[in-house]
Amino acid sequence: MTEESVLPLAAVLVSAVAMVLIIASYRYPNVREGWSVLAAVAKFGIVASMLPGVMDGTVYEWSLSQSLGVEFLAGIDFVLRADPLGMLFAMLASFLWIFTSFYAAGYMRGLDEHAQTRFFASFAASLSTAIGIAFAGNLVTIFIFYELLSLVTYPLVAHNEDDEARIAGRKYLTYTFFGGGVFLLAGTVLVYWLTSLTTEGATIAFETGGITALAEAAQLEPVFAQAAFYLLIAGFGVKAAVMPLHSWLADAMVAPTPVSGLLHAVAVVKSGAFGVARVILEVFGPGLIHDLPLSVPAIGEVGLNVPVAILAAFTLTAASIIAMRKDHLKRRLAFSTTAQLSYIVLGLSILHPYAILGALFHIPAHAFGKLTLFFCAGAVHVETHTDYVSEMAGIGKRMPLTMSAFAIGAAGMAGMPLIAGFVSKFYMLIGSGSVGGGYWIFASALILSGILNIAYLWPVVYTAFFESEERHDAKPLFEFPPGGKRESYFGNEDLAADGGEPSESRRSSSELCSDGGERPHDEGQPQPADEEGEKEAKGAGTPEATDEESGYAVDQYPSDTDVPLPKGSHDDHADDHHDHGDHHHGGPPAGGWERHSPFSESTWLMIVPISVIAVGAVTLGVIPDYAVFLDLATYIVEGVFGLELSEIREMSWAEILEVMDE
Amino acid sequence: MSNAELLLPLLVAVPILMAAVPIALGLWFDRTGWSVTALTTVGLFAATSYVAATVYETGREVHVLGGWEEPQGIGIELVADPFSALIVLLVTVTAAGLLAYTRTGGPRGNTFYAGYLLLVGGLIGLSLTGDVFNMFVFLEIVGLGTYAMISSGDGPESAVAALKYLILGTVGASLYLIGVGFLFMATGALNIEVLGTEAIPAIVEEGGSDLTLLRAAFAFIFVGFALKVAQWPLHTWQPDAYQHAPDGVTPLIAALVSTVSAYALGRVMFTAFGVEFLATTPYLQEIVVTVGAVSVVAGSTLAVVQQDVKRMFAYSSVSQFGLVIAAYGALTETALVGAIIHLIGHGVMKAGLFVAAGVIAISYGARTVDEYAGLAENRPLAAGSTAILLIALIGIPPSAGFIGKWYIAVGAIQAELWSIAAVIFLSTMLTLAYAARLLEKMYFTPATPVESPHPPGVATDGGEPNEGQESSSEHRTDGGVLANESRFERGSPDAVSLGMFILLVGIAISAVVLGFAGGLFFEWLEPFTSEVFN
Repeated sequence: MTEESVLPLAAVLVSAVAMVLIIASYRYPNVREGWSVLAAVAKFGIVASMLPGVMDGTVYEWSLSQSLGVEFLAGIDFVLRADPLGMLFAMLASFLWIFTSFYAAGYMRGLDEHAQTRFFASFAASLSTAIGIAFAGNLVTIFIFYELLSLVTYPLVAHNEDDEARIAGRKYLTYTFFGGGVFLLAGTVLVYWLTSLTTEGATIAFETGGITALAEAAQLEPVFAQAAFYLLIAGFGVKAAVMPLHSWLADAMVAPTPVSGLLHAVAVVKSGAFGVARVILEVFGPGLIHDLPLSVPAIGEVGLNVPVAILAAFTLTAASIIAMRKDHLKRRLAFSTTAQLSYIVLGLSILHPYAILGALFHIPAHAFGKLTLFFCAGAVHVETHTDYVSEMAGIGKRMPLTMSAFAIGAAGMAGMPLIAGFVSKFYMLIGSGSVGGGYWIFASALILSGILNIAYLWPVVYTAFFESEERHDAKPLFEFPPGGKRESYFGNEDLAADGGEPSESRRSSSELCSDGGERPHDEGQPQPADEEGEKEAKGAGTPEATDEESGYAVDQYPSDTDVPLPKGSHDDHADDHHDHGDHHHGGPPAGGWERHSPFSESTWLMIVPISVIAVGAVTLGVIPDYAVFLDLATYIVEGVFGLELSEIREMSWAEILEVMDE
Repeated sequence: MSNAELLLPLLVAVPILMAAVPIALGLWFDRTGWSVTALTTVGLFAATSYVAATVYETGREVHVLGGWEEPQGIGIELVADPFSALIVLLVTVTAAGLLAYTRTGGPRGNTFYAGYLLLVGGLIGLSLTGDVFNMFVFLEIVGLGTYAMISSGDGPESAVAALKYLILGTVGASLYLIGVGFLFMATGALNIEVLGTEAIPAIVEEGGSDLTLLRAAFAFIFVGFALKVAQWPLHTWQPDAYQHAPDGVTPLIAALVSTVSAYALGRVMFTAFGVEFLATTPYLQEIVVTVGAVSVVAGSTLAVVQQDVKRMFAYSSVSQFGLVIAAYGALTETALVGAIIHLIGHGVMKAGLFVAAGVIAISYGARTVDEYAGLAENRPLAAGSTAILLIALIGIPPSAGFIGKWYIAVGAIQAELWSIAAVIFLSTMLTLAYAARLLEKMYFTPATPVESPHPPGVATDGGEPNEGQESSSEHRTDGGVLANESRFERGSPDAVSLGMFILLVGIAISAVVLGFAGGLFFEWLEPFTSEVFN
């Protein structure tokens, strides 16, 4: 049932109006941030007010031609419609914006940033376009907002106005406009042309379960239909940071943390994943995608979805491995985002209802978890100017609540039960398992990536809570060059003797400290490490999936040797350091971290959003049935397949395929 | 005779006659040019609106000149159909609007405005004429007007640029005239309607030597127009002309002269030669789309490497007209609509960009990309308008740039010209390359003081090494003075009149608003395009 309503338009415009008001009140920071909060609350209110109706099967629609009589392009309307899939994304983005706007105020003031008006105005505009993407009713409308989103987030990426930010901004523009202006537009035009070849006439409006005219056209022109599919997926894949189109995301981390949090973990990147969902569920439809064979030499015919799934599986594994080597916390989180987004793409491209359900639920699940992580990283940055994991030893004393929230978010990323990430990953595993056949490889990629998640996020929690600034372990994965450091402790009798004699440990650590400063001169042939050290290395939670070389390095140089990091000697760090070199004043203050209570570690503007989002992540994990997102996701999947979830449970994959073909 | 029909000859005659008035009044009064021109152009705009409204109802208005009554092949007609009405609207709106700039921005003088009106009359005539020889006459009038406009600049560069255009433009017009000669030999007709409906289809059907003549005619005409429209590699006059023309003139030339030439090419291609001829002539389509596609790539590439902003925009025009020519070559209804929309859209956007360049040169003293640094902070309104226009030019919706590109892309895909489609999609990235360069400078690069062309004090200090110590301190004080001077050179926002700002912001807004008119344009042009493609 479609109901004409101005609500979707209002939801889009409310923050656009706020943008104007923000610019107008640039002289009064409190008023300006007031508009942000007001718009966020109003936006969420408008979106939420449509929820009961949408859950009852109503689709709220606003179209330019029906309301104003203006045709956007010949035969193409500008349509905003709030359907279940759009609601999922819109609810998420507008809900999280409320807390982000508080957090952003705290963050920007805490750092006394420049150009705050431009920042908040662009932020509001980004949300406007993100909701536009959520509610877009056809490919052209989504293209419009997709392009505008790239445009209005550019000022946020280039915010710092230094060379690094400008280069990141250029890269961002290039990637996103190549995705939007080239791939997505080309795909849209192809779909328009293909459907115009059929009896039903040209259409690009989304239809639950796929555009019927396109299914017809795909029989006439299978090659072009396939090309259109991959163009659209590539177009949205750029923002979803699917490899090899991902590298803008890590660079975009030069932006202030609220941007990295809400936009580059939720609104912008999710708009890519959301677009993939639209393409798979409502442009082509799972049935058509599965049945449009792609003949691959030497393998035979495979579904269109398989290459996408393989790419996504590769991305989520590779990005996790890369994340382990990133010392800069936000970059580590960026690669984590890259990996997690590919969960969504992978789940969608498996095509099984359960996998799709998992993927859709992973949109909010990851959003809550990753926003927590970014908020924490930002809070740490504001309070202590610490950006590097290697400088965070013992920071749990300084920021107990923040780092606890970080632990929760990290557990969610890894898919620990009781946190949101578990629920979605569980459904995806069931989905890929139910399909069977060669799809086991996707299931194993999901599990492997879960382990890798622990490998790169646990060290942060560990170093924060279980290490101290004077004594902490070496982090061989990112402190040493790839392939290991050619260094020997042979002949250092203090170290050799160190093992069993606690009385001497104090002395030896101080000596090592002075040694550490001269490590580059200290090079020697690698010597076989003693048995004990090797055993310890393996026992220290060293990730098993590192590449061979670094594994070798770990064996050679025990990672739990007590090596205090000489301050300021970051030049031998992994390559991600030099481009952040100018912000290098982090780490513990001279006397070690001051101990703070959870209430005094930061401003309320930041503590409260962190707590709320972390609680949200737990809520989604403990009682997903009562938090609206799983309901919505279920509703979407049921709509696409035309089956109740209880029916799907009983059916085999072959039976589901039959239903899809009908 | 309806009113609209009577208005057609007046639309052409009035501006040409009025061109004499500022000069005549100049005998008694110093500064009448602007008022006379303003009055005339506003009147022309009103008349054009009326004609357009009539055309919307009747589909076509024809005025036969000289009492020839029936179209007989050589009678001169003025024709207003949806295509030409749209172009005349663009011409009159732009001509009237840009006066808001020249009022205070200059150039001034009665002779300048005489040239201005002559150019406008020529452009309207070129748009309305229904006769290929008459088209040559107006082409020459437009050429003359343009030479006068370009050379009204102060420096010697303007004179050189005008001379360059004079020579190349005349070559282009001559090539066109040779083409028309062949056409007349083959068909015995000059009237576009007669050519399109009777003479050329008959020859295409018969074949033989007349068809060869016809093809030769097309080749000459196409190359002639490629020169006038500034397609690569015949574009060389255009960057000089745009860069060295006075700031008040460039918007007019950039928005209208090449646009109306491109319109004339479209008119000759589609109404006179007809789709059947174009589609059946071997390699014709390939050549046309290749010229267009190569211009898109070459123009954008050259634009990226420019330092001078006006020159950058000039190369950008080469690329944008390439898109139009490629769309002509696609030979589909949708692509033709796209080409026409892009003509209009590009005219509006480029007029705006050159107005912005002028305003920024006056108020901020910036002419090169590097000097645009920090513009957003110091001149937010000018920077904002430039940004919007650049974004529209890239083709980010909703904007005039997007709807044109959409139809052209759809048309290219319909024609299944994949390589051209690829160029069209990639043109976004090419445009982005130079637009983003400017955007980044304006918004994300802090302003630096203008570097003085003459290093302070060096000339006097030069020969005396023993004074080195002292001179270096002098350097410093000198530098300080110069910094002050250069700040003065920056220009001041007071030099920009309210009219200029209203014009600039108005163009920026209309570039966005036009982005919602995709359906409207299509509907408006439908009678014309469906007739062309039957």
